[in-house]
Amino acid sequence: MGKKKRNKAQKKFVLIIPVLAFFCILGAVVFFISQRISTEMSDSAISNLSESLDLLSNTIETILKREAEFQKLISQELASSEDPEDLILSYDQNDTMVKISFIRSGETEGISNTGAAFTEEGLDFSTGKTVNGLPMSLSYINSMGTWAYTMKCPVIKDTEEIAALYVEYIYDSFEEALPESFYNDNAMLYLMDTASERLVLKPKGIGERDAGHLNLDDFYHANKILEDNIQADIAESIKNGKDVMFYHDIQNEESLIYMWSVNDGAAYLIGYVPVQAIQQEGDAVNQNILIVVAVMLAAFFGCCILYFLFERQQDKIRKDREAEREIYNSQLKDALQTAQAANNSKTTFLSNMSHDIRTPMNAILGFATLLAKDAEHPEKVREYTKKITASGQHLLGLINDVLDISKIESGKTVLTTSEFSLNDLVSSIDTIIRPAAKAKHQTLDISVREIKHENLIGDETRLNQILLNLLSNAVKYTQEGGNIYLRIIGLKQHSSQYEHIRIEVEDNGYGMTPEYLKTIFDAFTRAENSTTNKVQGTGLGMAITKNIVELMGGTIEVSSEIDVGSLFTVELELRIPDIKTEELQVRDDHPVANIKEDILKGRHFLVAEDNEINAEILSELLDMEEASCEIAENGKLAVERFKDAQPGRFDAILMDVQMPVMNGYEASRTIRALEREDAGTIPIIAMTANAFAEDVKDAMDAGMNVHIAKPIDMNLLKEALSRYLK
Amino acid sequence: MKRGKKITVILITGIVALMTAACGQKNNTGENLILNEDVEKKSIVLFAPMERTKPDAKNVARTAFDNTIIMAEEKLNLTVEYNTYTAKDYQEKSYDDVALDRIRNHMDDFYLLNPDVLQKTGAEGRLADLSGLDCAKNLREVVKTANTVDGKLVGIPQEVVVYGLFINKDMFDEYGLALPNTPDEFMECCRVFKENGIETPIGANRWWLETFVFAQAYADLYNGGNTAAEIEALNNGERKYSDYMRPGFEYLKELIDLGYIDAEKAYVSEAIDGEGADFLAQKTPIVMAYWGAANAETAYGKPDFNLQVIGFPSERGQMPVMSMTGISVLENSEHLEDTMAVMEVILSDEALQAYSETNKVISPSKNVEVDCIPALKPLNDLVNSGTYVLASNAGMKVEQWGNTCLIVRELLNGASVDECMEEFDRLQEESLQ
Repeated sequence: MGKKKRNKAQKKFVLIIPVLAFFCILGAVVFFISQRISTEMSDSAISNLSESLDLLSNTIETILKREAEFQKLISQELASSEDPEDLILSYDQNDTMVKISFIRSGETEGISNTGAAFTEEGLDFSTGKTVNGLPMSLSYINSMGTWAYTMKCPVIKDTEEIAALYVEYIYDSFEEALPESFYNDNAMLYLMDTASERLVLKPKGIGERDAGHLNLDDFYHANKILEDNIQADIAESIKNGKDVMFYHDIQNEESLIYMWSVNDGAAYLIGYVPVQAIQQEGDAVNQNILIVVAVMLAAFFGCCILYFLFERQQDKIRKDREAEREIYNSQLKDALQTAQAANNSKTTFLSNMSHDIRTPMNAILGFATLLAKDAEHPEKVREYTKKITASGQHLLGLINDVLDISKIESGKTVLTTSEFSLNDLVSSIDTIIRPAAKAKHQTLDISVREIKHENLIGDETRLNQILLNLLSNAVKYTQEGGNIYLRIIGLKQHSSQYEHIRIEVEDNGYGMTPEYLKTIFDAFTRAENSTTNKVQGTGLGMAITKNIVELMGGTIEVSSEIDVGSLFTVELELRIPDIKTEELQVRDDHPVANIKEDILKGRHFLVAEDNEINAEILSELLDMEEASCEIAENGKLAVERFKDAQPGRFDAILMDVQMPVMNGYEASRTIRALEREDAGTIPIIAMTANAFAEDVKDAMDAGMNVHIAKPIDMNLLKEALSRYLK
Repeated sequence: MKRGKKITVILITGIVALMTAACGQKNNTGENLILNEDVEKKSIVLFAPMERTKPDAKNVARTAFDNTIIMAEEKLNLTVEYNTYTAKDYQEKSYDDVALDRIRNHMDDFYLLNPDVLQKTGAEGRLADLSGLDCAKNLREVVKTANTVDGKLVGIPQEVVVYGLFINKDMFDEYGLALPNTPDEFMECCRVFKENGIETPIGANRWWLETFVFAQAYADLYNGGNTAAEIEALNNGERKYSDYMRPGFEYLKELIDLGYIDAEKAYVSEAIDGEGADFLAQKTPIVMAYWGAANAETAYGKPDFNLQVIGFPSERGQMPVMSMTGISVLENSEHLEDTMAVMEVILSDEALQAYSETNKVISPSKNVEVDCIPALKPLNDLVNSGTYVLASNAGMKVEQWGNTCLIVRELLNGASVDECMEEFDRLQEESLQ
């Protein structure tokens, strides 16, 4: 079992490895693809950013160049003007050129378009930066309070420089050329005057509200770009007018910082954009890939779970089946053991029976031999026949018991209930038992008390059987001169419809050992093996008694002590009849007070019997009683014989039950149905080997008057006929 | 099995949902025309000082101001653009100078202004009258007084800046000193500290010593019940500013002479940077600062001693000194209507409540009350009882806050009290011309 489990676990483990390997490969592939996409998208985003910055840079350069070109045009106009100062004054301020000034060569003061005097003071052209060849000043805050620069253009007349034209431009004019929002407001964009490192054009809106807009140094500090080497590299690049782009964390977010040269490094577009902002597309693709992978994984694991659940269920079913099989096997084993035990006990029983049957059989055959030998001695013949009869009776008792118990055990027994008189039952028992007790000089004390209803409903025959079994045992197992008690006591009723009675049979006989008490009610067991015991019997009496009691819904208990005696207690509940009705039923065991010994004399019977020997015996027996008979071989013949005969020809019909052509029951019904005077009245006596209570009932139902079991007891026959024959 | 079914159902539902979502997306392949639907949003421009702080330090006051701007942007569906400036060093134009130029050149729609610029441009008639705004009706009278020029309310602040003396109460208790009310009592405290080895009892910087002067100069003017008439007399030259200022300058001079203030150090010290460390280290028992410094962890928010903020000594007792920066609107702004609407939002009681709660300051609105920390209670009680002097008043023709600061600096630099008073007289002369 353990090995099996281990094998199973090993199999699962072996299965897990390729699955894990598959997922590792899948994960690696997805990771690789995702990385590749990220890299490609990132490269593409950086490329886009570079292009955007190039475009912006070019735009600003173009504006600067246009400004320079326009300024040159003005200078040309001034050169050709006769009164340049007057021309200057005619120019109005506009959004780009906020101040136009003019200083003649050799002078330090000139005039502005506002009419105010103008000097070069405050303007620094030392940086050497030019636009389209025109010197560009260092940026400064102008009189409008905004960042500005001035370009200086010589006014040349006839190859001679006669003056210089100064035009002040404001950086705000570039605003229109720059995007309102850069990377959805995630990116920062400044214009830095390279020489002063001042941020002269700044993002507007909320971004402006944070720190770091003053100059390059402020930008570094605000964004914590404090590494000396980075700052040095940037300074070097700016000095050479090169574009710079690098990664750095800004406010704890990985960002791309850019510094893009404008006009050969005269100004720089600087700023940063969070990497996440430029990789949005790549991230979106990766997220979708991850979602697909996650869904696939979820589906796969879902399937795994389903498979696992299915397997577990199958496993459970298998286990249940195994458990069932084990229970079944165990039951089979038990049944086998029971069968073997039953077989053993039946073997023992058969062995006992063989002995028990052989013993009387031996007596019968032995005495038959002696009878043949001593046929001339009437006294011996009578002696022998008496013993043969006794042995035959014993044998019959054995057969009856065996049949009875086998029938009870096979569940075929049904109770035949009818109303009966308890007093009658007791007196019947008394009649049977008292002579036997008397023969052993035993006293039999019968008492009935606290019984509220004399008439009860129940199976009288079986009750009779119970009492006879208990009392005959008491007589049998009590020494001569012992005492036997039968007490029938009325107990407290559980229901008003039932009489609760207790039957006690007590003796002061041999008693039983505790071991025997345990098996006293088991079938096919006996206290001692009959082969070694002088007391003979089937050993089925108590089993039959217990079964009948239980069939009636009652209980039987026994207590006993060796050499002290035994007490059997039976408790039963018997139904109380609703209306006291006259007992009409005729019973075969009705005690008959007056048996007419010559009742058969001169009588003529119709006998239905298919067995020739039995017919002959009956014929002989009747003959012995000076009666005669006519034999019919089956029921049909019997019916015909009766039909053909004159009324009164037959005194009674002795009817076998099991016959060919027509059985006894059918024949009886047919006879009873005949339309003749005596068809309903002629006594029909069932004489059959079918000796059970239900057979008796069937016989009665078929219209027969009396049931007498075979072998035929002439006394019983006489007793029965005494009641019906006048 | 039941669980198995459940899982199957969930899986199928998930797959169906995904398929439905995938199929539900619009297929635009047939539509080639893409329109640029950018709608131009209205915007107005604010000119404000630029932050020049350490990158990690969040300026709470600035954040509170930004939050009110965001409130306006959301309510009015417009954008407020910031134009900012700050001088890199003393050689560059100051913020005030640039603000002046920008106002004069109509560069922006509204401005954050210091009292002197506000007063100057207001007098030039370049600032819009804000008295018609609904939010102006909620203002405390003192706020209106301080920002009214020629009968026009030209600026409204988001907070009333109150200056006071920051006292180490543990050190006062140690030497058995009661909190001073009058100049003499204060002087006596300094004497005791000095005698007990406290080398410089008063920590000072080059900006805020003028508060001592204002407390003594204007205690009577603002608390004597004749304020308007006295200001009128100053404006028309009937009375001299120097007469008001002299006692305060003389007192300051005495403190310097007795060594209670280190004038040389103060002259070169920036606010809090110079004197804060000694005060927190309990080497100096007295400094002066604005209200918010008691709340700011970067200033005096977490002292290791019992901090009390009281008024400056004057003959009328302790005197808080108030100063106000204002938000002003350009008279001929291109977006005057929108700008006024923004002003209504950022100066509404709702916005001022949020601002004051963030900064724990006194609100200019009489409807907004915010609990102050225990250390500020003495100062708060005085303000609530109407006891204070104004360090800036647009109604006075001689600008006070900026000029007095510069003249006190001269005193620190060795000028005599008479020289300082002459400067006031000169300024008054200019104003009268």
